[in-house]
Amino acid sequence: MTGTLRVATDVGGTFTDLVAFEIDADGHTSIRTAKSDTTPPDFERGVLNVMDKARIDPAAVAFFAHGTTVVINALTERKGVRVGLITTKGFRDTLEIARGNRPDFFNLFYEKPKPFVPRYLRRELNERMSYRGEELQSLDLSDLPSIVAEFQAEGVEAVAISFLHSYANPTHEEAVLEELRRLWPGVPAVASHQIAREWREYERTSTAVLSAYVQPVAEKYLRGLDRGLKERGLRQAPYIMQSNCGVDSLDATARIPITMVESGPASGFWGAAELGRVLGIPDILALDIGGTTAKCSLVLDGQVRIMTDYWIERDRKSAGYPIMVPVVDLVEIGNGGGSIAWVDDFGKLHVGPQSAGAMPGPAAYGRGGTQATTTDANLWLGRINREYFCGGEVVADMAATEAAITRVGEKLGLDPTEAARGIIRIANNNMVNALKLVSLNRGHDPRDFTLVAFGGGGAMHAVALAQELGVREVIVPFGASVFSAWGMMMSDLRRDYFVTRLGTLEPGAAEGIETAFTAVEDSARAQFSAEGIERKKVVFARFGKFRYQNQEHTVEVPLSSDPVTDADLHRIASDFHTAYEREYTYRLNAPVEMVGLHVIARAEVGKLQLKERPLGPVDASSALKGHRPVDYALEGIHEASIYDGTRLAPGMTFVGPAIVEDPGTTIVVHPGNEVRVDGYGNIRIALQD
Amino acid sequence: MTDHVTLAVVQAALEAAADEMFAVIRRTAMSPIIYEVLDMGTGITDAEGRLVSSGAGIPTFVGVLDKAVARLIEIHGDTIREGDAFVTNDPSYGGVTHLSDVVVALPVFHEGQLLAWAASIAHWNDVGGMVPGSMSATAQEIWQEGLRLPAVRLFENGAPIEPVMAIVAANSRQPDVAQGDLWAQVAAARRAEQRLKGLAERYGEGAFRAAIADALSMGEARARTGLATLPHGRHEIAEEQDDGSVWRAVITVEADQFVVDLTENPGQRDAPMNLSRDGSVIAAQMIFKALCDPSRFANSGSFAPLEVITRPGTIFHARDPAPQGYYFETRIRLYDMLWRCLAQALPEKLPAGHFGTIGGTVIAGLHPDTGRRFTMVEPQMGGWGATPTRDGLSAMFSASHGDTFNCPAEIAEARYGVLVEQRSLAEQAGGDGLHPGGRGLSVAYRMRGDAVLSVGLSRTRMPVWGLAGGRNGGCNRLVIQRAGSAGENEAHGMASGVGLSPGDRVLIETAGGGGWGRGT
Repeated sequence: MTGTLRVATDVGGTFTDLVAFEIDADGHTSIRTAKSDTTPPDFERGVLNVMDKARIDPAAVAFFAHGTTVVINALTERKGVRVGLITTKGFRDTLEIARGNRPDFFNLFYEKPKPFVPRYLRRELNERMSYRGEELQSLDLSDLPSIVAEFQAEGVEAVAISFLHSYANPTHEEAVLEELRRLWPGVPAVASHQIAREWREYERTSTAVLSAYVQPVAEKYLRGLDRGLKERGLRQAPYIMQSNCGVDSLDATARIPITMVESGPASGFWGAAELGRVLGIPDILALDIGGTTAKCSLVLDGQVRIMTDYWIERDRKSAGYPIMVPVVDLVEIGNGGGSIAWVDDFGKLHVGPQSAGAMPGPAAYGRGGTQATTTDANLWLGRINREYFCGGEVVADMAATEAAITRVGEKLGLDPTEAARGIIRIANNNMVNALKLVSLNRGHDPRDFTLVAFGGGGAMHAVALAQELGVREVIVPFGASVFSAWGMMMSDLRRDYFVTRLGTLEPGAAEGIETAFTAVEDSARAQFSAEGIERKKVVFARFGKFRYQNQEHTVEVPLSSDPVTDADLHRIASDFHTAYEREYTYRLNAPVEMVGLHVIARAEVGKLQLKERPLGPVDASSALKGHRPVDYALEGIHEASIYDGTRLAPGMTFVGPAIVEDPGTTIVVHPGNEVRVDGYGNIRIALQD
Repeated sequence: MTDHVTLAVVQAALEAAADEMFAVIRRTAMSPIIYEVLDMGTGITDAEGRLVSSGAGIPTFVGVLDKAVARLIEIHGDTIREGDAFVTNDPSYGGVTHLSDVVVALPVFHEGQLLAWAASIAHWNDVGGMVPGSMSATAQEIWQEGLRLPAVRLFENGAPIEPVMAIVAANSRQPDVAQGDLWAQVAAARRAEQRLKGLAERYGEGAFRAAIADALSMGEARARTGLATLPHGRHEIAEEQDDGSVWRAVITVEADQFVVDLTENPGQRDAPMNLSRDGSVIAAQMIFKALCDPSRFANSGSFAPLEVITRPGTIFHARDPAPQGYYFETRIRLYDMLWRCLAQALPEKLPAGHFGTIGGTVIAGLHPDTGRRFTMVEPQMGGWGATPTRDGLSAMFSASHGDTFNCPAEIAEARYGVLVEQRSLAEQAGGDGLHPGGRGLSVAYRMRGDAVLSVGLSRTRMPVWGLAGGRNGGCNRLVIQRAGSAGENEAHGMASGVGLSPGDRVLIETAGGGGWGRGT
């Protein structure tokens, strides 16, 4: 094998995917993909299987990135371990009281989420800090031996520690951790400050508990993977995809695995940001449509937005559980290719969130599915080629599709074609609303953004969504169906630190702010250097979280990486006022407070380098497969040119109406769109104004 | 005739606009009771003031804004212009609840025609009056409860009317907070205005109006479908309250009507427990919705089969100048009584009683570390009743609340300069039964500085009710343990202006829920 070989593997609930990127000396990228079954509980076996299937020699791999849903699955399937919790006296019930809210508020039969640790395993120690980190009551460890003995007797397998105000002063948590390790060597244990340095005791406690709950499961998995790959000759431990769009070392992830919780979508969004950097496009709406959901996120000035306000199982029916870790800011809706179209008791058409999944899948799979899905509607309207379904691997069962769509239509008094158009329009509308949530709702006009669409279904809907939002260019990246894996290859080693720190922007405040930033950066450097990353390779970005005095919620403002001085404070305040007004339409003549800081620490670990290829002839007729009528819903039926995506080459151009068929995805090009293939093989679609 | 899908698309956008308003207020408001407790609601109404969509945090605010807008239209009629915005908080002028809840409503125009309204209501920390936090337990007239804003114009030609803004600020003990909250509500309305105009431009005014009409008829269809599942009957209840007075209701369920008759009830009083007629209607809407269509889908159509009969001058139909500062305790007790009335008739369809109080607790003073004035306004969590199939929930906000969040102890300590000594489930379990009720809450504040306390608790004497043979739950209580006075407890149910000194401990214990079914 020549060139550079990079491998990304992704363990999902059903399948383990592999994508290998090989760049030859000319800069030509070739992609190999393979899929095999996920193999619980020994997930590493599936990874090794898929390597074999793709004929990848681990010893030849220069960079190995790994993403896994093991954490989110252990949480949602309740397959973690029994956790004991140690809290401040008076607060053992914080985990069960939670926030007391009832989002399904007319419903008197609301079900409150059950705590992950039952009351008898929640114990207290005497100790107390103030909100300023002062010790109000010293830590009394005398009860700890009996707590440990009871935990052991009750079969506790991991311990979480969460004290009030540990974000401001973690010494009591540290002392308990140390004593616990002495009393109970080897027990998996985590203290809340190790994961989160922000206030809100329920969220921090929940985070520590959920991390402890999955830690033994995740560690066993990661160690097994590491061992298996090393035995096969992999030279460097895999990097593990995180929820903050970075990768982290396997060792660090094994200690605090909860940071992987939302790693699935993160790599695609990072890929979109990296693609933007390569193409010189800083402002991007990224859209990832898979089988069951659509996810979107905003890239502003080349940056993804990372937040710590993440919850699992939260919706309009349930309060869910918070996890206070850095997660890319995304909106996810239950609208993918497999989402089921249904008519409610009052004659209203809906699409999703229920999905036909992989089994039985859309009706067209011919596996017994009787419910119409978005994919069935796309097939019925000729947008997906019924002769080339799933890259030609599946014979589309059009009779099943027709029956399913007809049933939906009958309930609405519509013929099948009208019903299929309705399904597409409803699905598109759901996605438009999600895209508005990440753009308009945050004060950004989508017309100023480029839509990057990926995942198996992104390109099918992207142009229609862009039209609705006024977006002028859609990019379907090269290898769109495996774009998330590509994003993994482009990731840096990255850690996001969020710390609650209250202060003003009055003269004299700069020193304290600078000290706080320096403290975070020093500890980040120490952490990296303990893992063998050179000091000079670590790059920092600083952000402050500000608000008007008396407010609660904050606006994050980027700061310069130079030391903060009093001379900077005025500009910082003015940046805040501007950012605030953009989001909320007004500014106040009120004092500005600092509530916290956010530091991104990054170190490059050798990312994929793309090389632009020269543009060839514009004539795309060599890729033209033929023509067929395609129903564009709102724009009616048009005779579309059908292109073979694998034969498109840099420089080619064509105009819509057209369809591009690729083994992994179908691109729907609307009438009037102008399409070109850029030097990286991306499909660039220009919309009419 | 607008097609199905376009209707659905416009309806989804109307829902999204109300949700978006909600998010804006939550992120920008300055009163903790707004951004944390979410004691606020947002809504879109049609040009006539019928509720189309709502982005509420609490269910009791879903049915408020239509009533407010309808009254604004009645008062201002032909003078309403594009670029206007109105403010009201007065139950006699469309305020519906009490003076602390401020409504901001903005008419949305399209091509010169009034198209819709974007409105919000939010509980401000302080609107003046006798006591910090504006809710005095001893107020005898509404003037003692703060600034009255009788449905006045706040914006003209898109610009604030500065004198009105100045009056609002000058009448609050926390003028900066009042202004911050006011702007938060304006920003939310503007956001919705943009969205609604965009919708009308994109789909046309005809489709816009058709989508609203369709949504209202769907709300009604959902309500009638639910109503059809209820057995017909006439149910009566008479219930003694903590103060010894007896309240009565007659609920008649028929095929096409659900009638709540509150005629036979005590007269209004010169105490802040009175409820406006609109407030009573909301209590009835809550139980109607819980029985007939407990989903979050709600608009004016959702309540079409409901009729509420009240008699002017009673506690459930108070007239000016009755004080209403603690109206919410009366409303939740009314809701709870209607719930009990129907639960006794239909024990499989409703849970046993819950702790049944908002438990509004106000502590105001100067922050011992910063010297800044603070006002903590918090409702309490408590035990919920058991159901035919499971135990009651522990430590939840009341049924009048919804997506209401408690204030983290860590934030309360920083923001208010009090020490939260404990916040745990109450030791006292809920009412026993086949399924026992959930546990209440036990929370203790230790004062670090001087402050003033107000509190309103219901069910301090009459316990939470069990159902179908289940035992009653407990009672709610607040006690002050004064610094240095060993064991001397000072209990309060409804009180305001109670002085607190450093070292004093305020302990609040809320009731467990009622049990369901006879225990074995």
